Amino acid sequence: MSDSGVQLTEVRKSFGSMEVIHGVDLSIPDGAFVVFVGPSGCGKSTLLRMIAGLEEVTDGEIAIKGRDVTDVDPSQRGIAMVFQSYALYPHMTVRDNLAFGLKMQRTDKAVIDDRVAAAAAILKIEPLMDRRPGQLSGGQRQRVAIGRAIVRQPEVFLFDEPLSNLDAELRVSMRVEIARLHRELGNTMIYVTHDQTEAMTLADVIVVLRDGRIEQAGSPRTVYEDPDNAFVAGFIGSPRMNLLDAVWRGDGKVDLARRTETAPIRGDGLLPGDRVTFGLRPEHLVVGATEGIEARVDVLEYLGGTRYLYCQLTDGQPLIVEYRDGPDVRSGDTIRLGCPPNRRYVFNESGLRIR
Amino acid sequence: MTGKTQARARRALFSASGYHGTGILLAVFFLAPFAITILSSFRHGTEARLPPVPPWPTNGVSLDAYRSLDSFGAGVWQHTLNSAAVAIGTALLTVAVSLLAGYGFSRYRFKFKNALFVLIIATLMIPFQSILTPLFIILAKLGLNNSLIGLTLVYVTLQLPFSVFMMRNAFDAVPKEIEEAARIDGARDLGLLIRVLLPLVLPGIVTVAIFAFLNSWNEFLAALVLLSDNSKFTLPILISAVRAGRLGAIDWGAVQAGVTVMSVPCLFVFLLLQRYYMRGLMTGAVK
Repeated sequence: MSDSGVQLTEVRKSFGSMEVIHGVDLSIPDGAFVVFVGPSGCGKSTLLRMIAGLEEVTDGEIAIKGRDVTDVDPSQRGIAMVFQSYALYPHMTVRDNLAFGLKMQRTDKAVIDDRVAAAAAILKIEPLMDRRPGQLSGGQRQRVAIGRAIVRQPEVFLFDEPLSNLDAELRVSMRVEIARLHRELGNTMIYVTHDQTEAMTLADVIVVLRDGRIEQAGSPRTVYEDPDNAFVAGFIGSPRMNLLDAVWRGDGKVDLARRTETAPIRGDGLLPGDRVTFGLRPEHLVVGATEGIEARVDVLEYLGGTRYLYCQLTDGQPLIVEYRDGPDVRSGDTIRLGCPPNRRYVFNESGLRIR
Repeated sequence: MTGKTQARARRALFSASGYHGTGILLAVFFLAPFAITILSSFRHGTEARLPPVPPWPTNGVSLDAYRSLDSFGAGVWQHTLNSAAVAIGTALLTVAVSLLAGYGFSRYRFKFKNALFVLIIATLMIPFQSILTPLFIILAKLGLNNSLIGLTLVYVTLQLPFSVFMMRNAFDAVPKEIEEAARIDGARDLGLLIRVLLPLVLPGIVTVAIFAFLNSWNEFLAALVLLSDNSKFTLPILISAVRAGRLGAIDWGAVQAGVTVMSVPCLFVFLLLQRYYMRGLMTGAVK
């Protein structure tokens, strides 16, 4: 417990009679960068706000650095939060925005000045100190919001979709900045996003949530290469994994689109004739194999470095292929697709991964 | 080509002069009554009885009208002070109560919240003249009849429904995240309200204050009914006495002076605060 930055134990949240978080258990190591991802309405923001103390915990326990903070005031939890809408105080200068939290804690004036100056230096916002939020650009505002969090010297940083309001270019540079910040400060950071790139690039641990439950928690590599279920497999990766209806034949074979494909798994718990989902990532499919899945190209998207082929299998199931280089392919062509054996995933009828 | 350019320039001149001409005409219409009143209040006492054209002093400036006004009631200073005390008191109390009520209605969750809010708004539909008698009786029971404090309390009551509505809208327009950020920063309850939220709802506060001030400054009927002591009368009652005249003779100069004394503070209050006031109406309108 002592090496745990944030510990959630059986955490539940209900709004009225509707339970939105169904008993979440999660142990976040000290200093880790954890990203909550999931579709909208999955409870990722609610969970973050519960850790912040902005939402009451209906049941369960939240501990930060081994201290039970379930019923502690937000300001006493050792957290700082960065909001999607920045939530700067519009009537205060940047300097006052940064200093406000420390002033409320009646910190010594000299200490406040030092910490504010240090935060400003880290974020390179010194020239903006006497401006008001209204006079800043979106990126500058987000820097100030992060600065306000740094000044508090929290145990845990909480980010609630901090980059969603920024344009694409700025989002990339702020993402790098946040990564740099984590390396320099070394604090535990919890970050909520629906952007996969942010999740994959920033996280030490990705927590995939759906309907108030954790579907899988693991390193970006684990959730991408070794998903526990069809939801995680489909959610992580872009374009999403092709999830195809197939039938288990036993002995490492599945029937897919009137062909028999090999699936290098033992197939524990599966009986021949069971319906399964066969998962193939678009980027792992190889066009031009002599033997393989037959597909007809419907639509072709050209993206420069790569092309997306929207295909149909012989039984009409849709399939997306990422195609990098090779002979030209036109819509209407019939292609044969191969896939490395270790990149083939099988899920049972309830969506669980079969290994 | 040049012909076209000239035509366009002519058209632009035409539309600009039409625009500004209309504006000036409207401004004259609105400002003329003020100008006529203020100018004619400086006419000589002898001139006051003459036909009102031209409205400005022709025989030199004089303060006769104001001297004459001062001879009514307990003196114009006393009545101005009464009015100022009631209007400022009403504005302050209304702001204080509606600020807290608006905050509560906007941010806290409690039982029957919406029903209560509708009930408060619904009182706007009751014409206050119809409850004047009960109000009089209640004030008498409280020992507050014939007192400026009692009158202030009545005005605050009448002013509150609109003000609470206004303040709730103002608080609703403040993003919740700002409040949450302040809570994480350690501000709570009254500290949060005063240090973070107050500056953000300032336009709403100013709007409420202006309305409360102007309405209570100008109110006549309740003041007439609830006050009985000559020295406690507010300005509108003084003006009505001046307007009624003495022994059938009306001193028009004094009437003009009284109107000037009454309208100048309103103008000042409004001009000083109007930029906040406009923003206040806006925050109410566009969430």
